[in-house]
Amino acid sequence: MGIDVISTHAKESLERIFFRATRSRLTMEAGDICEIAPAGAHGAHSPPDGNLVILTISGIAFRLLLILHYDEDERTQNYFLGEESERPFLEVFLEICNLCCGAVNQELLQYFPDLGMSTPYVLSARCIPYLEALKPEFLASYAVSINDAVSLGATICMCAHAPIDFVAEASAVEDTSGELELF
Amino acid sequence: MIQQVLVAALAGSAVTALVALAAHRLASAKAMRRLRSEADRQTETLSQASAAQSELISIREQHMQELEATLAGLRDELKTQSDSADSVRAELKAVLDSKDQLAHKAAQLAAEAARLKGLAGTFERWHEQMISLMTQNQDMHTKNRELSSIVRHVVIVSLNASIEAARAGTAGRGFAVVASEVRALAARSEELSKSYRDSLHRNDLTTTATFQDIQAGGKMITASLSSVESLANQFQATLH
Repeated sequence: MGIDVISTHAKESLERIFFRATRSRLTMEAGDICEIAPAGAHGAHSPPDGNLVILTISGIAFRLLLILHYDEDERTQNYFLGEESERPFLEVFLEICNLCCGAVNQELLQYFPDLGMSTPYVLSARCIPYLEALKPEFLASYAVSINDAVSLGATICMCAHAPIDFVAEASAVEDTSGELELF
Repeated sequence: MIQQVLVAALAGSAVTALVALAAHRLASAKAMRRLRSEADRQTETLSQASAAQSELISIREQHMQELEATLAGLRDELKTQSDSADSVRAELKAVLDSKDQLAHKAAQLAAEAARLKGLAGTFERWHEQMISLMTQNQDMHTKNRELSSIVRHVVIVSLNASIEAARAGTAGRGFAVVASEVRALAARSEELSKSYRDSLHRNDLTTTATFQDIQAGGKMITASLSSVESLANQFQATLH
């Protein structure tokens, strides 16, 4: 594959869309501060005993894997469970990841009319180095910090077999209708 | 005297009669002249009327001819129009037939799209197979962890054996060789176990990515088929 299969515009747009989804869906309260910074390739910052939630958005010419790295520590659990104590942490966290991926999917639908989204799956963080085996055209990892307390990792991995070029709006209106989306 | 009187009376009568005759003749001639001139005038009027009548008749005939010509023209026109109406009717019938065929095709298309949505079941089957494959991978992870734990134990045992062999002095020399060999085998097993663990992780990622792609692709196809079905239904509805 050539180096230009995914254009720079498309890569920047994907980042923007993913950041917007992360900021709006991974934060539990409207006032929570979510900081996203680029991390070393392959999510090297992620602790080896951590886990990954993997979700895939498939289109005709590409597949996009969205990966969230998490540690099931007390701070993370407290943040995402909040008042809720009935349901297990993983169930709640998978639902949040699903909403985050759904927001990305929703925005991508404006540029790619045929898309489908998978259900989430949990793997060990040790799987991350093997993303290279998928021969991705775009692979980028980020460190996500919420309120300086909860640390997560995020990886975008896009494999394409046809040129991908699109420009997502720089300041899309924050979509708050996620609760109504059905996956 | 009487004779004279009589003669005079006769003469008087004769004169009167003559006068009367003359007067009558005059009057008759006058009346004849008047009647003749009247008759002439009447004849003149009649001939004038007759001329006018014949002129009128000729105009009427002309009109009649014109009307007949118009009628013939209209008859031709009617025939042309009727032919053209027939051809339009035939065309309309052809169009209606083709519309029916299109509606039939649209219905077939909608039914086909609806049928193909059954592919969702196939994708679901693949997804179930992925779950089963991943469960097997998890099982292999567990077995590998167990193997790794055994290998670590063997390393400790071989170290202990080396220590015991050293304590035994020359008598334990042979045992030391065996212990060292066991340690070397344990180290190789450990390497193999690590490599196997890495392979399993690689397998986990590839399997998950592949089957998620199948699952998401399946949803994409199902959604696209739904939109094709809805378009075909709309098309069919506009044709009816």
